[in-house]
Amino acid sequence: MGVSCVYDYPVPDGRSGAQVVDVLQKQVETMGAYKTGNFHIDCETYQSVMLNSPKTLHILHNSEHPASCFAILDSGNTLVADTLFNGLMSNLKNYYQARKGAKIESKGQRYQLADFVLKIGSVSLAGSFKGILVEVEYSPSLVAMECWNLMKELLQSIVGNIAETPPQTLKPRMDETFTPTMAMLQYLEHFNNFRNKAAMSQPAR
Amino acid sequence: MEAAVLAPSLKSIAPQQEYLLQGSILDAHRDVLLHRLRGLCDNAENSPESFNDYEAVYMLRNSSTTQQSQFVLFRVRHALDRPDAPAHIRYLGQAEVGDRGRHTLVRACLDVACSPNVRDFLMEMGFRLDHDYVAQGFFFHKGRMKVTVYKIFKLQQPGKTDQSNLEPLGSSHLVELSVVAPLGQEQIGDDMKNFAEQLKPLVSLEKVDHRRIQ
Amino acid sequence: MLKLAYDKMAAPSVNVCVESVIEHQIQEVNYDGQEIYVAPLSMSENLSKLAYKIDFFKDESEEKGKPTSEGEKETDEDKVLAPFQPSLWPWDSVRNKLKGALTEMSVLYDVLNIAKEKHYMVTDPVSQEAPELKASLQMLAKKKSLVAASQILSAGAERLKRVQAEMASNTQENFLMELLKLRKLWRLKKVHNTILGELSYKSAGSRFWQGGTFEVLKTSDLVAEGEVNTRSSSLDVSIPSELEGVAYIQVEVNDVPNLMDITSATLKMPAGLGTMPPDAYWQQRLEVAQNVLFCKELFAQLAREAVQIKGSTPHMVIGNQILTNVFPGVQLSIILCHYTGKEKKVALSSHKLEHNHVLEHSLHQLLRRVHDRNLNYSPPHPVNAMLGMTKRRRLAGPVATSRQELMEMSHSESLLEQILKQTKHSVLRLRTMRVIDQLAVTIQDPQICAHWSCLNNSLESSVRISFTCYGYEIIRNSLVLLIGTDSIRVVMKDGRVCSLSFEVTELRDLIQWQICQHQTMCVLHLAKVQGWTVLSMINNSGHADMEAYGTSSTVMLASPRGNVTMAFHSNPVSGQRLAVKKAELGGEVHGSPAVTAAKWAGLSGDYEEVNLQQLEGRNLVGKIDMLMARLNTS
Repeated sequence: MGVSCVYDYPVPDGRSGAQVVDVLQKQVETMGAYKTGNFHIDCETYQSVMLNSPKTLHILHNSEHPASCFAILDSGNTLVADTLFNGLMSNLKNYYQARKGAKIESKGQRYQLADFVLKIGSVSLAGSFKGILVEVEYSPSLVAMECWNLMKELLQSIVGNIAETPPQTLKPRMDETFTPTMAMLQYLEHFNNFRNKAAMSQPAR
Repeated sequence: MEAAVLAPSLKSIAPQQEYLLQGSILDAHRDVLLHRLRGLCDNAENSPESFNDYEAVYMLRNSSTTQQSQFVLFRVRHALDRPDAPAHIRYLGQAEVGDRGRHTLVRACLDVACSPNVRDFLMEMGFRLDHDYVAQGFFFHKGRMKVTVYKIFKLQQPGKTDQSNLEPLGSSHLVELSVVAPLGQEQIGDDMKNFAEQLKPLVSLEKVDHRRIQ
Repeated sequence: MLKLAYDKMAAPSVNVCVESVIEHQIQEVNYDGQEIYVAPLSMSENLSKLAYKIDFFKDESEEKGKPTSEGEKETDEDKVLAPFQPSLWPWDSVRNKLKGALTEMSVLYDVLNIAKEKHYMVTDPVSQEAPELKASLQMLAKKKSLVAASQILSAGAERLKRVQAEMASNTQENFLMELLKLRKLWRLKKVHNTILGELSYKSAGSRFWQGGTFEVLKTSDLVAEGEVNTRSSSLDVSIPSELEGVAYIQVEVNDVPNLMDITSATLKMPAGLGTMPPDAYWQQRLEVAQNVLFCKELFAQLAREAVQIKGSTPHMVIGNQILTNVFPGVQLSIILCHYTGKEKKVALSSHKLEHNHVLEHSLHQLLRRVHDRNLNYSPPHPVNAMLGMTKRRRLAGPVATSRQELMEMSHSESLLEQILKQTKHSVLRLRTMRVIDQLAVTIQDPQICAHWSCLNNSLESSVRISFTCYGYEIIRNSLVLLIGTDSIRVVMKDGRVCSLSFEVTELRDLIQWQICQHQTMCVLHLAKVQGWTVLSMINNSGHADMEAYGTSSTVMLASPRGNVTMAFHSNPVSGQRLAVKKAELGGEVHGSPAVTAAKWAGLSGDYEEVNLQQLEGRNLVGKIDMLMARLNTS
């Protein structure tokens, strides 16, 4: 597990998500990356009921860490647990209820390019396509600061200028040891953005 | 095999049940029991495995007045003597004492290993600390049967788990025989019963109805 | 002999014969064995005897009054009630007695009538012949009865004697003592009247289907049939027939010409193994039986794996043998030898058994490790953690272990794969050893010395090879070989690493090439000592002819006075060559200002090759040393 950066790849108007993903995949393949299977990240959101202060709990799973389950509160406080944690949540259904239609996931191909792992995932919220997330992981390093410039170069050749600065959630922790939780926080931020966008566009229709 | 290891969502986990028998023994006779257990159990060649766990029980209560009596308990436990071992959340369901034909107490049981920040996390989720204690004792196993002989200590000052702050509760050790297995394996009850028979004059293991004690 | 004919009295169809026994009653037996018989009663005597038995005074009513059984009392209640009402009529008993007397009298009268009037019954006198007594017959009969009597007596005496002996030698106690000893060493339990023991490894973690129950017997019970108790122990065990005999796993590594030699898969059963003597001590017998069970389990496990594992070359299971390829041309065969002593004697083949004890031991170790792992889980901490998971697996969730690590964690190597790896290593190690030894013997100059590290394991070992020349030991070159399972890694003196395959020629070439380099290094060292100047030094020179393998190394040296130049060329195939160029000095000195030193005057001259064979000296370095010393002064 190295350092990961996740970026939202904008889908230009007039092109479908599938097309853009296709283009990205071709691009990555011409760089010399080869496929190493699929990946899958999903996020379910729970809302507290009947508690004095309302709370939101996100439960994320990552196929890269098949034995783990990430529970993230609004504050960013993250609990990493066995996948059995889902069973605990079902025992809390009187207190925390899953928000309907809020299940969001990113899945797609996983590529390996020397020491880098590239993941191109299409995001879908309740079954409908919302956007594309590109994750680049640099395996040998554990501190983002040390390898940021190296990653930036690769990232810019894929996602372009949006990779000018490190991801927002990673910025304050650039000199810390990178943990899988940090990657999940990045994903959660993007997922929340997608949801908000979806919520914004809803009343307009 | 890969599929089994990598199954991302384990929502199809069979619900686990804990089969439990409990008993107690006076401190003075503990060593005799340990000796007997060493002879009966599988890990005989090693000296009995000791443990020193801190358990805190957290409660989540509904804030609405109508359902004030409803609550959920999460028991969070970590080993004081093994700093590298993960903390565990344990959820226990309502105990079914069942009919006379069933030899053991059966209750739903869920053990989830988690990262060490679990206490803060639960507090933030809305849980409140209900009570806590330290359990020190020995662990044996025979097949999948787990035998624990331990003593419960009260914390004189909250939050401190060093030995000087611990006050033993009572003058006896608790003896528990338990198996965690998927639902519907009645054979386990018989096995446990047979095992309990072998300990008999020393300690009598029974299914204890906790509701009656409360 | 009484014969009653009821032909007139009753239905004539049935004749009932009532006869007394023919045997005469014995009155007394003389001391000589003669028996005196009582003369049989005559008919009348018999009758009078029987009549005598009738008690005419017995009150029949009293007899009646005593109900003989409960049932009678209930069914015939009226009968029973009658005697209990004497008040009905005071003379009732008298009347009854009289009635009874009348009945008896009439019966007596009838009997007398029958006897008197020969109308109903005929009494014939039976002729009483004296039994013919033949002396010989009597003798035989007596003998026979005497023998029978003596047998009974001696059997009784024998039994008494045995009990006495048992009491004297405390066999009973011995049995109990031995049972106690047995109990300390083996698992025993009592089922009804038998004591059963368990010799399988189930309680130690084995999951083999075959059980190993034995029965504990008392030897004194076994020898009841009169045989002499020769056993030293008073306790015996009976072991199931399938665990009898001696077994072991034979591991052979042999060179085969083809890919796999199936013809060698014949049932090889070394008879030299011998059998257990039937009267061996129980502990020894149980241990051997346990070993049989263990070997069977080991072989069953290996055979199952051999069938399951899909290797590049398939493993073969033929009868009691597993064949598999280690390297091309090298075959590993694992044979289960179980000799029960019941097999017909197979002529011991002249085939030399190359049993590999180390690998056999490894196999045992591997299975025991499996057993151990079955039984000993890593203890859960905190104690309510799930049982049966490894420590790392328990942490996998909370520390978010990656997919790859989890895959590695769940991968476990089978016994066969492990033993195959160990075999590969041992084969490779042996090959390396042989190559080094051969080279050390054939190459005298320089000397090759191998230091095998004693710190090794079953999959890795290392050896340091050093080259020295006799008399010049200070010049030392060494390289380290790390022998793995499939390849050898070589670390050279300058820290370069190269990997070699399992083919030994690669290693041989490498060592020979290193020897060449060593000699070049020696020459360089001599130059330093003798004050010569190194003009050039090329370790791997591309010049000269192409050789079969390796590269040449060359050195050019100039003498301290500068008048002699020496060129040394060393190649592993073509050998070492030395050429010397001498500049003619001391001729007329040109007064040219361009010639600043004398050495420039003698630029000309050709290299002349030195015949190294002819030079004086013990070895190459010595020869060159000599030559350099000589050239210094010239």
